Amino acid sequence: MADFEYLHNMYDIRLRPRLLRSLMADRVPDEKRPLSSPLELSNVVSCIKLHKLLSETYPVKVDKSNFNDWKSAVDSWIERLLSLASSEMPDKCWAGVCLLGLTIQECSLDRFVASYSNWFQRLLVHLKPASGSHFIKVTACASLLDLFTRLGGIPNVKKEGTSLAGKLIQPILQLLSEDCSETVCEGVVDLLCTLITFFPSSIHHHYDNVEAAIASKIISGTCSTSVSKKFARGLAFLPKARSDADSWFSMMQKIIISINSNLNQAFEGLEGATKGTEVTAILVPPGKDPPPPLGGQSVLALNETTKRFWQLLTPRVSVLMQCCSMMLTNAYPVQVTVPIRPLLALVGRVMSVDGALCQTLMPILLVSQQLFLCSELPLLQLCSLDLLTSIIKGVGSQLLPHAADVVRLLTECFRRCALPDLRIKLYSIAQTLLISMGIGMALYLASEVLTNAFVDLKFTNHNSVISSFELLNSKKQRAVGPPSNQCKRKRGSEPQPLSAVDAEAEDQNINSTIPVSVQISALKALEALLTVGGTLRSECWRAQVDLLLITTASNAFDGFITFGEANALIADEPASIRADFQLAAFEALLASLLSPCGHRPPYLSQGLALFREGKREGGTRLAEFCAHALLALEPLIHPRALPLSSVAATNMGRKLDETTFSSGQKPGMPFLDERAGPSSSKSDDFYDALCSSWLKNSEEPESKDMNQAEEPGVTGVFGQGAAENVSGNREKGFEPGVFDKEMEKDKREGEFRTGIFDKEMENVGDRREKVFGTCNFEQEMMESEAEKGEKVFETSVLDKDVMENVEDKTEEVFGGDALDGNVVSRTGEPFSSKGFMVALSDSEPEPLPDIVDSDPDTD
Amino acid sequence: MPNFNRVKLVYFTHLTEESFIGSSFCSFERVRGGLMESSREVVVVTSPLDSGISSFELGSGSEGLRLRSCTAHRHGLTCLGTHFLASSQIQNSNSGAIFYWSWNKPQPVIKSFPVEPIKPLASNADGTYIVGGGSSGTIYLWEVASGKMIRKWSAHFRAVTCLVFACDESLLISGAEDGMVMVWSLLKILDDAGSSVHREHSFSGHSLPITDIVCGFGGCNSTIVSSSEDYTCKVWSLLTGLLRTVKFPSVINSVQLDAGEYALYAGSRDGKIYVADLNSGHSSHSIYGADIVCALSDHSKAVTSLAFSMDGFSLVSGSEDGTVRVWDVVSSQCIRIFKHGKGPINNVLIVQLRTSLSDPSLARMSNSILGKNRFSLPSPLEKYLSKRDENPDGSINVGPVVALRSNPFHSLDGQSFNSLTVLLNQIKELQQQGSSATSQMELERLKSDLGRAMQMVQRWQDVYQDLYSFSTAELLSNVDMTGVE
Repeated sequence: MADFEYLHNMYDIRLRPRLLRSLMADRVPDEKRPLSSPLELSNVVSCIKLHKLLSETYPVKVDKSNFNDWKSAVDSWIERLLSLASSEMPDKCWAGVCLLGLTIQECSLDRFVASYSNWFQRLLVHLKPASGSHFIKVTACASLLDLFTRLGGIPNVKKEGTSLAGKLIQPILQLLSEDCSETVCEGVVDLLCTLITFFPSSIHHHYDNVEAAIASKIISGTCSTSVSKKFARGLAFLPKARSDADSWFSMMQKIIISINSNLNQAFEGLEGATKGTEVTAILVPPGKDPPPPLGGQSVLALNETTKRFWQLLTPRVSVLMQCCSMMLTNAYPVQVTVPIRPLLALVGRVMSVDGALCQTLMPILLVSQQLFLCSELPLLQLCSLDLLTSIIKGVGSQLLPHAADVVRLLTECFRRCALPDLRIKLYSIAQTLLISMGIGMALYLASEVLTNAFVDLKFTNHNSVISSFELLNSKKQRAVGPPSNQCKRKRGSEPQPLSAVDAEAEDQNINSTIPVSVQISALKALEALLTVGGTLRSECWRAQVDLLLITTASNAFDGFITFGEANALIADEPASIRADFQLAAFEALLASLLSPCGHRPPYLSQGLALFREGKREGGTRLAEFCAHALLALEPLIHPRALPLSSVAATNMGRKLDETTFSSGQKPGMPFLDERAGPSSSKSDDFYDALCSSWLKNSEEPESKDMNQAEEPGVTGVFGQGAAENVSGNREKGFEPGVFDKEMEKDKREGEFRTGIFDKEMENVGDRREKVFGTCNFEQEMMESEAEKGEKVFETSVLDKDVMENVEDKTEEVFGGDALDGNVVSRTGEPFSSKGFMVALSDSEPEPLPDIVDSDPDTD
Repeated sequence: MPNFNRVKLVYFTHLTEESFIGSSFCSFERVRGGLMESSREVVVVTSPLDSGISSFELGSGSEGLRLRSCTAHRHGLTCLGTHFLASSQIQNSNSGAIFYWSWNKPQPVIKSFPVEPIKPLASNADGTYIVGGGSSGTIYLWEVASGKMIRKWSAHFRAVTCLVFACDESLLISGAEDGMVMVWSLLKILDDAGSSVHREHSFSGHSLPITDIVCGFGGCNSTIVSSSEDYTCKVWSLLTGLLRTVKFPSVINSVQLDAGEYALYAGSRDGKIYVADLNSGHSSHSIYGADIVCALSDHSKAVTSLAFSMDGFSLVSGSEDGTVRVWDVVSSQCIRIFKHGKGPINNVLIVQLRTSLSDPSLARMSNSILGKNRFSLPSPLEKYLSKRDENPDGSINVGPVVALRSNPFHSLDGQSFNSLTVLLNQIKELQQQGSSATSQMELERLKSDLGRAMQMVQRWQDVYQDLYSFSTAELLSNVDMTGVE
């Protein structure tokens, strides 16, 4: 036997059959040998998956005997499994069924197609209720699920698949109707969902039965949360079995009515009498019959005591809401009518109840019931906010006519909700809305998000902002609707305008009470706001937000989370939350820097410093993000108008550094002799052409060239230096002008003329100084030095006399432009040519004086 | 001398511009070939005379089915999602007409007749809303699926000439014969509580009717370019208003921005397409005027419509001379000509399709849409504003008709194999031996062990019994034997 030969190496083709045999011999139980330990089994599984022992795929050129060897090994493997699966011993049977599931996944397609019906029969036996162990039932369900998942992927066995699936429905229904354990239910529902997904027509005849079975499980509320979530999924998938618009809608209708009737009972005495009918009135128009209750009459008939009702209220309602959410967020094959108004009404109804008794009615509720309801309400509200998120996701652009309603609902919720979990949800809904609905939504939501985020981020130094926003908001609220009967309003949601003192006092009080997770979501909402609408109508709040974000980010980096004096270390928070907070703060900071604002971002240099520091925290998500942020900020500092083509791509290498400086403009093109053409813009030829063109041409082009030549080092460092010292330079008259042009992408005609150079002219009196000033502007960008004059020469690469000449040129070019009202392009073209000249001036300094001398304007 | 310097600077830009234009045509061809694989761009062309709607594949040049009975208004052509084309029709009567076509049926599938002539049409990317501008200056907003008129508002003093959605589709930009360009927030317009409709911006500056509007990229910092019969194009910023005015030698019928918004392409009444430089701060002069870099001229009559391909350098132009030309803007060459018919062309639209026009699967797709009613056909557009709660047929409106989609990466649909996870969970459970299920299994196992043990006992007993009886018998017989002896 081949087993006595050695293998060549671990990739030898004979390895796999041999390994499979050895597994069978040593680790897999058989008739005689019991299963030593379940861990053995997991080793077997990992070995099979790692080496693909069952795949039976060979490279093309392999001799047949090896192939047959493997084939027979797999044959005997399957034989062993089938005998195990029909074993009397439960553990062996379990092992057999498990490994059969693995085989279904791993075996070759041919083998699967040939034997799936046989395997199906073997597995089906274990679903029969008579068979004992729940354990095996769960395994059998999982294996069957795999079988149908694989079958669903093979196009030409649809019919057989459907007929097999049809045989499975009765056992499934029976298992569901029995009082079986949770794990079995879970497995069965998963299997059912797979059948609905891949073989919907098999469910067709049993649609109502399946609905009744699942609905009764949900309504009876006996399952744990995770299992009832599975049931919700089953119910949400069910309409796909019919795949028509009506079944989807009627399922949705039934669920909403069911939720509503539960709420009717629960909220009695806590809300206006008409609230309940509001939802159903839209859903079931007067004169029409309401749909049958969810799951049919039998489910409704369940009689329950009051105590049981209260116990089951939250799980039941939350599962049904989850079901709605899943229906909205999962694809459906046909277009459906989404009852968006009843859904919104439902969400609004849950959110409007706060446990306070309705004064207009005599109290019907027992004190204990109110207590219970108050304890459960947050959960219900969380679920309904989840539902709101799903509505926004599912309906997409068609939310538009209802968007204003959603915003009003959200505003109202922000005002009422004080619990951290609820606020996190609210912020995330605001974020989703902003991102999905764009600028229009930003105009609507800005004040709401800002007011709340300022409070939650404890922006205490700027109460004026808060109060002005709150003033704005409270006005809005009065317009929106009458204040309802609230008894417990918490500070965070206090709508009345606060005096500065009050606000401060209150902020002191709650300084330690706002959880970091709320702050994280507030930062995310702020980020979304800046991303989408940081520019439009933002004059009144933008500066404050920028300040808030830079402060938050730098505090977060230092490990503090609060603003101002009352710093509290976040060290006592779990590490993951701290990291999240840092990341959120940095993300929001990036948005604040990038969002256009009509002038240079005020905290650019601090921001860059933070990102650079953050990048050093290697291996963290923060470092990853900081690298990304620096990349994103780079075009802000070097705005560029790139040519359409990348000529440089054809001649990489030496050209690379030139293009770096040239802000993407085609380097050197202006200097080229026209005869030279673009093809000569390569390496040495290029320099030669350039040099000759230079020597040949008359003074004017040179003068321009010289101007660019004189700032060799400057351009190279320009970006970084400028970035670092941006704030330091702010006072200087010419600076904002420069940056305006450099950074904003907009094309304001007028602004071009209020350029750097004009201002420079005003500042500097005599002509010579002008010269220095002009070249100095570059210098200052780089080094942020206040001194002018000699400095230039010290740092200059060129000889002093050359330099002098050059600078006269410089002055002339720039000054002339400035006087003329003409403006250097904002696209960085001047820099590009300068950058290019770096190489030139280094390599061939000699020609420069000559040319310059020949210039008539030297004196 | 300073003047001369300035001229040099100008020269500098020009050279840059032209030199890159001349150089690398070949490499683009390669890029273009690669792009074509993933998405097919279809050029859709209409005419004000009834020569139907023709469609050409931009990559291969193959022509799709020609759709009949279309006499479109300028700007009156839009693509509703991927399934339908909508076009506003020139009618003799006082009422308007908007027809829908599906890709595979030559005749319109839906005809609607609004109260007044509708000229420009626009729809959002999903094709869920359609906006039409009336000749009275009123703008109408319909929901496509139900045909319900959601809102109408008087926007301009004179006929609306063009409608464009801004890049994030929450803003609508309209231009009209009164020379005004207005920006509307759809959210505000659709807000029932907000009583009066008011605009976000109104840009006045053009002295004659607006002919075209194009909106660039950039959210609330977007650039909008409007062209007008007053020989100018104006560049506006959504943020700050007018940025600059570009004067042209002739009336500009159509404008387009390239993807990087460096260049403005302006199709003019004199048959040229002018290329204006948007990005250089200083004025560049050519024979055509300030800021104009060059012109593409091949059309014999007025250029009416421009569209840009996704590849970033194919510009498609339609002209009154009846041809559609595809230009390579890098080389300034016309690289392809499509012939629509005898009549002038007034709309050119580029639509992204997944399948090829000649591909039978396109027909199948449309068939399955229409035939099996997988996607219900949209309803004709309503004439009048109905109550918010009511559908056009008078029933209560519970909500919009939505095509529910889910991201395949986030949905629950993507069922995966399950048995391994179950197996590992069960193994863990067995290790802990905590749950009832495992103890049940353990019990079963023990029971069967017990059974086997009992069997063994039985067998041993039997053996013992046999041995005993044998030995006794033997012993007794021995005794007997000895007794006998």
